[in-house]
Amino acid sequence: MASRFQAELATALGTAAFGAVVVAGAIEYGIGWDSAGPEPGAFPFYVGILIIVASLANGVQALAQHRALAAAGFLDGPHARRVLIFMALSVAFVILASLLGLYVAAVLYVAAAAWWQGGYRPWVGAACGIATALFFYVVLEKAFQVPLLKGPLEAALGIH
Amino acid sequence: MDNIASLFYGFGVALSAYHIGLMIVGVLLGILVGVLPGLGAPNGVSLLLPLTFAMDPVAAIILLTSIYWGALFGGSTTSILFNIPGEPSSVATTFDGYPLAHKGEPTRALSFAFLSAGFGALVGVIVITLLSSAVARFALKFSSPEFFAVYLLAFCSFVGLGGASPFKSIVAIGFGFAFGAVGMDSVSGSLRLTYGFDELLAGISFLVAVIGLFGIGELILTVEQGLELAGIRARISPRDVLSAALAMPRYWVALLRSAAVGCWMGITPGGPTAASFMSYGLAKRFSRNRDKFGTGEPEGIISPETADHAAGTSAMLPMIALGVPGSATAAVMMGGLMIWGLNPGPMLFVERPDFVWGLIASMYLGNVVAVILVLATVPLFASILRVPFALIGPVIVVICFVGAYTVGNHTFDLWLALAFGLVGYVFKKLDYPIAPLVLAMVIGDKAEDAFRQSMIMSGGSLSIFWSNGLVATLTCAALVLLFWPLIAAGLRRLPGLLSTGRRTPAA
Repeated sequence: MASRFQAELATALGTAAFGAVVVAGAIEYGIGWDSAGPEPGAFPFYVGILIIVASLANGVQALAQHRALAAAGFLDGPHARRVLIFMALSVAFVILASLLGLYVAAVLYVAAAAWWQGGYRPWVGAACGIATALFFYVVLEKAFQVPLLKGPLEAALGIH
Repeated sequence: MDNIASLFYGFGVALSAYHIGLMIVGVLLGILVGVLPGLGAPNGVSLLLPLTFAMDPVAAIILLTSIYWGALFGGSTTSILFNIPGEPSSVATTFDGYPLAHKGEPTRALSFAFLSAGFGALVGVIVITLLSSAVARFALKFSSPEFFAVYLLAFCSFVGLGGASPFKSIVAIGFGFAFGAVGMDSVSGSLRLTYGFDELLAGISFLVAVIGLFGIGELILTVEQGLELAGIRARISPRDVLSAALAMPRYWVALLRSAAVGCWMGITPGGPTAASFMSYGLAKRFSRNRDKFGTGEPEGIISPETADHAAGTSAMLPMIALGVPGSATAAVMMGGLMIWGLNPGPMLFVERPDFVWGLIASMYLGNVVAVILVLATVPLFASILRVPFALIGPVIVVICFVGAYTVGNHTFDLWLALAFGLVGYVFKKLDYPIAPLVLAMVIGDKAEDAFRQSMIMSGGSLSIFWSNGLVATLTCAALVLLFWPLIAAGLRRLPGLLSTGRRTPAA
């Protein structure tokens, strides 16, 4: 699928774009000199410029080594599929965590990942997920008194 | 000897049942995070850091440094038994460690690794004991331009010595500074780079970044490769350990050379990863047994391990004495120090000698505890790795996200951790170094303050960085390190000396 060359070039463009965003954000706050010395945007402005310049250099290097890099693989079908599934599950986890709290999301996530990615029976995954959630509850909530994000289920059960 | 007296004072601080207990807990947790794929020393420390906010700083730093020692040992265990480096810095250990274990001598391989690691760490701590207060006393003379020059030196040495492509290192450093600049500007108090997101007003926590970059990024990589673990069973027999220990003195040249390489790379922030590769490269070049390298040669285990731990330990020296961490993990710890209300740098020796010397004394104890515990628990931890990754992987993912949430109780941090995870994954695949990014994020504000104050002092002229002998020396040293790849290429037409170290991604 994607070659190392494409990945190098895309990343160089991406980091350059990030640098541009930093520069744009810095200009908003002034990049010059005022009564108190350099303005707040000055340092980030030059950092942004540095990122852009170095990114361009990376892009040029990738172009210069085009032949070698184009032959090298970056991500092919089965690998990309695993990464995509992982990312999809992670995004789902974060959305679930925002809606239902971390405990419920953790149980669902571990169960789904073990079942979908690992090919385990659903109850094995579910058991694993519940054990994880209980572990967090005991260690964080009880032992260290660090509260985690909770949702409607905990509220219904009266756990604060 | 002032230092020796201070050290004994430090042992007085560190030696309590509570602290020893924390060491044991820390080392065990450290071995665990070192052994598990996706959890390494930097994010192991990051995950635990929020739990220490309420602890006494001395107890907290003992817990965190012990995790660090444990993680360094845990990383070597998986390198040798599974041919999978648990830490980037133990990649070089796989070259000869796995073959020796594969030949049926896992105990010997592990003993060589742990004992030389312990030796490297010990040399690192001795260096810290002897040099730290002198360095700190020297640094008391520093004002803003000198401090900025020291920061510059740190970043230039990443670019020049780190091993990754120089431009990629610069991009990584720039990213770190940019992330660090988000939120409140520490000089003028105005907000910047928030792009209208209320969630960014408080800035981006380096802990969330570390958890994403190292933790989730590493997990994506592991998932991508569809990791199947096929390990070698190890049962530690005391007799084999003893025979390995008796064989150790024979390798004194390799031990001393590697410890020196490690200390150098740890103090100038080349980091443990670059140190271990460089040490392996040197050993391979100068050893009498160089033909046997790659087939399970003890020197090929001893050299990277000694350098790895010497660098990991001595990376703490610039952190406590100058406020410039020498590795990603040291950067995280330094961020912790600032959260606990301490000011890393020369003043720490004056303000909190109990903290400094308690920490240094605990390093001696912690490493002894670590060597003993790791030898005792290798079979246990190796068996954890036999739990299929499909079950343990999702649990580690959840641990990372929960850790990101506990940093500041923000749901937004979960998204940030995920985004950093993706960045970390791409950076790792393309050999962009991540450690300098973390370093820049942690010391970004301090570097910027130093720069702006220097500019105010000089009225905007860069010549202030050459205004006296001290700052000029530091600045020139920084420039030499920055252009080191070019200088080195000019100096040596001899191929190979550093080539093994040159091509490796830094941790």
